[in-house]
Order: sequence, then structure tokens, then C-alpha cells
Amino acid sequence: MTDFLRNLIRLRRGPWEMVATILIALGVVMLMQPFALALFTWSFLVTLVGTVMFIIVSHFPE
Amino acid sequence: MPNPLDAAARATPPTVARRIRGLSDRAIAWLFVAPTIFLLLAINIFPLIWTVRLSFTNYRANRPNEEVEWVGLRNYIRILTDDGIWANMQTTAHFLFWTLVLQVILGFALAWLINRKFKGNDLLTTLIVLPMMLSPAVVGNFWTFLYQPQIGLVNYTVELLTGTPANSFSMLGPGGYAPWSIIIVDTWMWTPFVMLICLAGLRSIPDYIYEAAEVDRASKWRQFWTITVPMVLPFLMLAVLFRGIENFKMFDMVVLLTGGGPGNETLLASIDLKREAFEKWRTGYSSAYAIILFVTVFGLASIYVKALNKVKER
Amino acid sequence: MSAYSVTEPTRRSKLVAGVLVVLYTFITLLPLVWIISTGFKSGPDSISYPPKVVFEPSLEGYVNLFTTRTRVGAEEFENLPPAETWYDQIVRDQGMVIAGPSRFGERFLNSVIIGFGSTFLSIFLGTLAAYAFSRFKVPLKDDLLFFILSTRMMPPIAVAIPIFLMYRELGLSDTHLGMILLYTGVNISLAVWLLKGFIDEIPREYEEAALIDGYTRFQAFRKVVLPQAATGIASTAIFCLIFAWNEYAFAVLLTSGTAQTAPPFIPTIIGVGGQDWPAVAAGATIFLLPVMIFTILLRKHLLRGITFGAVRK
Repeated sequence: MTDFLRNLIRLRRGPWEMVATILIALGVVMLMQPFALALFTWSFLVTLVGTVMFIIVSHFPE
Repeated sequence: MPNPLDAAARATPPTVARRIRGLSDRAIAWLFVAPTIFLLLAINIFPLIWTVRLSFTNYRANRPNEEVEWVGLRNYIRILTDDGIWANMQTTAHFLFWTLVLQVILGFALAWLINRKFKGNDLLTTLIVLPMMLSPAVVGNFWTFLYQPQIGLVNYTVELLTGTPANSFSMLGPGGYAPWSIIIVDTWMWTPFVMLICLAGLRSIPDYIYEAAEVDRASKWRQFWTITVPMVLPFLMLAVLFRGIENFKMFDMVVLLTGGGPGNETLLASIDLKREAFEKWRTGYSSAYAIILFVTVFGLASIYVKALNKVKER
Repeated sequence: MSAYSVTEPTRRSKLVAGVLVVLYTFITLLPLVWIISTGFKSGPDSISYPPKVVFEPSLEGYVNLFTTRTRVGAEEFENLPPAETWYDQIVRDQGMVIAGPSRFGERFLNSVIIGFGSTFLSIFLGTLAAYAFSRFKVPLKDDLLFFILSTRMMPPIAVAIPIFLMYRELGLSDTHLGMILLYTGVNISLAVWLLKGFIDEIPREYEEAALIDGYTRFQAFRKVVLPQAATGIASTAIFCLIFAWNEYAFAVLLTSGTAQTAPPFIPTIIGVGGQDWPAVAAGATIFLLPVMIFTILLRKHLLRGITFGAVRK
């Protein structure tokens, strides 16, 4: 866990890609869940942030 | 005495020699890549940027002379607060979830069985794979025939096996079966896809790992969960992501099978989008809808490419 | 293989596995067999209850597929000269006369033109790009490859709106050229990724030897790499062809007349009171047959094709 945080601060690719992946997955789940309209409303923004983040962080060093 | 210039020429690395004779590698690289990139820009990226632009307007393609207004984020806000579209997303989710579950279970089981390497497994694999190569449109259309309550093969088989009269239910009509009907057809078509990828995963596991486990007296059950499953998992991820993306944007098979009906029971997001764009001609609004679907697919695709590279390393 | 191996399944487990897989194959092929057999049924046989497994084969479906027919008055029908050809007779037996050829032939031909045209173009452009990605240091290589692949994932309807508008402006809507370019745009990603894998496998030494022998890069590419990659190119071509052949969404949205392919056409084949199932089945059979043959030809490369070259077996 501390390794994960340290690599996050040092702008390493691995952990940041993980964060972006989780955001995208979260956005997709929010888009299609049957529980709350509010989650559906904000899902697009979450996916968008995750996707943009993914593109940016894939250029971070390993 | 040998000419020092001669010696230098002989020692020149081949790249330099080539540059003299023809185009540089760099130029060739660009020459070779450029047409592809250009085509993709024209056919994919330019339209996409156009869609983004349209998504902020109230443009209607069937009334090209009407004044186009900028509406800012209004289209997006409307879509993302619309109960109906939220319901379509849930319909899509239902379809996605069950097709993935069924295809993973069936596909993995089949791959596991075929991996017993019994006689004739190659031939059977080729036969099993056939449905996924067919045209989804033709498949969707023909399955409406198989699903006919009176004369269809499906209802008749159900009657034969369970005694339920064939005309007492309709797979595509009212009664709640339609969402399952599209799941059945998709599973029929695409289980082979998951199977093929799982099979590759199973075959990538070297024998010596099992041999070592055998020496350690690990039970078959334990071997399955500690060796087989983890080793196949990256492959399975690949299959699930790809099928997930494909089914999220599913259009052809379902539109011909049910057209979204009965009611809105099988109205997947992409079918709804097609209606908005090409039947109601709300171009601006449907562009925003398209962008929402696109960003979702693009996000999933980036995860997919990551998974792809992971499998490639194996 | 050694005589005894712990990983070799026992005979009994092989037998059980074989039986189960045969069972699955049987079930999964049933709809396919049903399509093919319905094509050879007569109209009444195709919609009989219970569904007929044994039936008298008839070419009615195929004749109806290629013709349009009309009904004539009872008196006029009586006074017609006897049917001249066997297909004339089949139509007469249904109480109708042939009015002319149907559009299926045209649609099928469109599928062939657009399928082969886009396959050729994808392979041509794809081979060049794949070679460059495989052999040279292309700046932003990974980004470009990702970009190329991601275009494949685009939902067709999402780009169909502006393509529809763009084609309308350029006069490309409902033309063969427009569809060829469009399908090339979708297929090229697959072509580049697959072909890059195949070219990666050709040892660089071959070309380097050729370069030392005085070939230019271009000659080395043409005379050394291309022949070596022939199998890969062929199987990639078949994959591209199958995609273009089966595509429906773009075809139904962007074509209506001249350039319409078979997939949007087949579901519109109607007879008396609804779809003419034997004719639909006949059309489907003719349409699916090439793909089935291709699949059998491709079986060694299938896996590669569906994973964009990532899994090589």
C-alpha cells in the first residue's frame, strides 16, 4: 500500500493506470446501475475523467 | 598503401549506404504509415470531432436550412437526467451481464473439455466456431423464424421436452421472454469466441507446472483453482472486455430480432440512439448520446489494449 | 510424448469430454442446419406444425429468391401457354407467374464488390503500415497503434451521423466507393495489428542480407518480406472480407439503392403474408456459404484474428 502511494506521488505509470482503470470501471457501472438516477447522471463525467487520465498517465515512466 | 577513404566507406553502417541509394528509413516509415493515418483521420476522427461539435447544437439533419443554435451542455444534461435512457442503459446492462456470464461459463467449460485432446477435437472446434462468423443481421432475421410460436423450432422443442404447448408462449412477444431471447441468440453466436480464447489460455500453461503440483501431491481440485484458473484469467479478461464492448454497442442482431420490442423491453442504448438519429432526426441530441456511448467504449477499449499487451507478454 | 504423463487425461475423461462436446456441437449446429434445410422446403412445408424434419426437397425457395412473381386472374392462368422452364413450372405450381428477376443478384454483387474492394485496400494500406511499425522507429508508435485499434471499437451509430452528413456533402452516399472507404476505415485497424504480428515473426536477418546484397529498402520489402508474409496476408484478408461481408449497421444507414449489400436486403424478402422463409433461408444459405468455407480455411489463424494478433498459440 505504501509502495502504491509512493509510486503515485512519483508519477509512476502502474498505480496511476490502476486509478484510471478503476474510474472507468466505476463510470461504466454507474451508467448502467438500476439504483439511483444521480449516479447515472454523473457517470459520464467519471468515465470521461478516467479515460482522459488513462491517456495521460500511459506516458508516465514505468 | 590502402586508401583511408576506401576503408571508411567499407565501414559505413548499412543505414548510411541505404540513404544514399534510396529513401531514408525515416522517410519510408512515414510514407508507409501516412495513408493509413490519413484514412483513419478522414473516416473516423474527423466525423468524431464533427459529432462532438454537433452535440452542442440543436441541429436536425432533415432540416438543413433551419438555423442552428448553440445550446451548450443542454443535450448532455437532458440525456443524463432522462429516465427513459437510464432504463435503456439498464436493459443494456441486463443483456451485457447475462451474455457475459453465460458465455464465460459455457466457453470456459467447452475449452476445458476440448483441452482433454480427445480424437476429433480439431474438427469439432471448427464446427463449433461457425456461428460466430455468420452475419449478425442474417442470424437475427432467421432467429425470428426459429422463435415463431406456432411453427418455430424453439417452441416446438420446448413442447417436446417439457410438454408446455408450443403456442402458449412467445419468445419475442409480450410475456417477458424477449430480453432472454436476445441473450440466447448472442450466447449461441459468441460462446465459441470465449471458448477459443480460453483454449489458448489453457494451452499456454506448461505441463511442468502440473507435474510439479503432482509431485507436491496437490489434489486435482486444488490444481484447478491454483494453476488453471489464474493462468487462464488474463485470457478470460481479454475475452470478457471484448465481448463487453461489442455487446455494449450491439445493434445489428438485436434490431432484426426484436427491433427493441415488445414495448421497450429490448431497447438497447444503441438501438435507441439509432431511432433518435435516423428516425426522429434529432441530430444534435443524438450526437451527444453518441458521444456518451463512445466515451464509455473508448474507456473500456483502453483497458482492453492494456489487457491485450499483458497477454502478449505470455 | 512420453508413454506416461501426469498431464495426459485418462481415457475415461477423454470419452466423457468427447461426448459432451459432440452434444454441444449438435445443439449449436441445429439452427444452422435448419437454415440450410428450410431453403429446400416448399412454402407450406416450411411453416407446417409440427416442424418437418423429413420433407420433399424443393427449389421453390431458390426460385423465389431470384424472381419476383405476380398473381394473374384464374381464367388467364388457365389459358397460359405451358411453362417453358423448370423454374417457370415451380412458380406456376404456386399459382403465380414470373414477373421478372429480383434484386438479390444485384445485392449479392454489391457485397462482392464492396467486400473485395475494401479488403484489397485495407490489406494494401495495412501491409505498408504494419511493415513500418514492425521495422522502423516510428515516433509515438504505441500511441498510434492504440489510436488505430481504438477506431475499431467505435460504435458504428456514433460515427454514422457525421459520415452520413459528410457523404451527403461529398456525394458519396449510397455509392460503392463510399462504402469501400468506410469499411476500409474499420478494417484497417485489424489489418495493421494482425499483419504487424506476422511481419514481426519474419527474421530481420533476411532483409539485412538483401540490403547488403544491394537491394534498396523498398526492394527488400517487396522481394523478401512480402513473399514471407504471404500466409499472414491471406488470412488477414479473409478476416477483413468476412467483416465487410457481414456488416449491417453502416450498410442499412448509409445505403438504400445502388450500393446496398445483401445483409440489409435479406430480411426484406417477403412473400405472401409475411416473410417468404424458404427464400430468406435460400438467400441466407448462399450468403453464409462463402463465410463457412473461409472459416474452415482459416481455422489455424482464427484465434490470432479475433485477438488482433495478441494470441499466437
